[in-house]
Amino acid sequence: MMIGAALNASIAAAPSLIGKVAPDFVLKGLDGRNLRMSEYRGQVVLVNFWARWAGEAREEIPALDRINTTYERAGLVVLGVSVDEDLARAREFAGAMKVSYPILFDTGSDIGKDYLLQKMPVTILVDRSGVVRYANVGYKRGDERAYLDHIRELLRE
Amino acid sequence: MSLKHRAMSITGALLLAAGGVLAAAQPPPAPVRDTAAASAPASAAATNPAATTANPPSAPAPAPSAAAAAVPNAAGAAPNAPNAPGSASAAPPAPGDAQPTEFKSLDQEVQGLKKDVIDLNKDLFVLEEELLFPANTQVAVYVSMDVGTFFAVDSITLKIDNKEVKNYLYTAREADALLKGGVQQLYLGNLKVGKHELVAFFTGKGPIERDYKRGATLSFDKGVGAKYLELKITDHVAKHQPEFAIKDWE
Repeated sequence: MMIGAALNASIAAAPSLIGKVAPDFVLKGLDGRNLRMSEYRGQVVLVNFWARWAGEAREEIPALDRINTTYERAGLVVLGVSVDEDLARAREFAGAMKVSYPILFDTGSDIGKDYLLQKMPVTILVDRSGVVRYANVGYKRGDERAYLDHIRELLRE
Repeated sequence: MSLKHRAMSITGALLLAAGGVLAAAQPPPAPVRDTAAASAPASAAATNPAATTANPPSAPAPAPSAAAAAVPNAAGAAPNAPNAPGSASAAPPAPGDAQPTEFKSLDQEVQGLKKDVIDLNKDLFVLEEELLFPANTQVAVYVSMDVGTFFAVDSITLKIDNKEVKNYLYTAREADALLKGGVQQLYLGNLKVGKHELVAFFTGKGPIERDYKRGATLSFDKGVGAKYLELKITDHVAKHQPEFAIKDWE
């Protein structure tokens, strides 16, 4: 029931993403490496789009870090994508968060349009075949429980 | 795009048909055989570096994996069908002798269908390219890398007639594929007949891990017929520096 309710909410928020192949992107990471989304095909991928100015994102990132440390070995990949316009400050912020997963920086690509980003943060879950299966816009405490339900389900597939 | 979508839908329909054929006469343990078919394209992609960088060869790749996924499911959908006659008869071992040859021919049929689907997808891809980029206006830019001791590519920006047409970031896997001899189609577009200028900016790590940015320029005449250009990254051993050149393939 809870999963169904969460799924309905996410469908209302991101109607045209769920069930479709996740748009591919390649972005530069905090460590200088470029990462391409499609190279993680075969693994369950959680992509978290965030911006420094979004207070909810600051709360969500530590929760995602805990999820990553727990499920990384089970085949989960967490990617954080900053959509901040001020790259220098975004890098500074990301460095201070000290998360265990890669943080990427979107500097003027079409990723916002591709992922229909209108509000921050946005978290999406992509299954092993590269299809978006869940999307959550915004964040409130407890949302990570819905993430975990979906992650476990996708990891079992 | 519509052709590509049509190709994918035809692909799906054929694969479902193939799965259905197998489901009709196959016993439950069949998926074991199909794992080999599923792993074959993946290993081929791993051994062929060009497949990871060049766009066209990678296009048909999803078809075989989808086929492999469809077949075991379809086989699982009708597990009891072959068992029914066996349970009614008093001597069940008899059908065991006839089944392997029948399965073998069915398997060959399914493999043949899969191959046809891949060929069809490839043909439609080529047809789509020919329609979108007719030969008399087509210009294609490729990237190749030789040795790479003095340069680790990070990105390439391409400008044609002072207009940015491509900015490509390379992941470690893609850079590695180039080093292994892969040739990447970086850009495919249309240009009018006449004089044009191509400028390529290469960024990455140069000797002693230093940030490195260089450009290369080529003025070329676009005649009637396709134009193929190659961005070549090579090592200049005497200078201990990388070299960037643009080759015009006549």
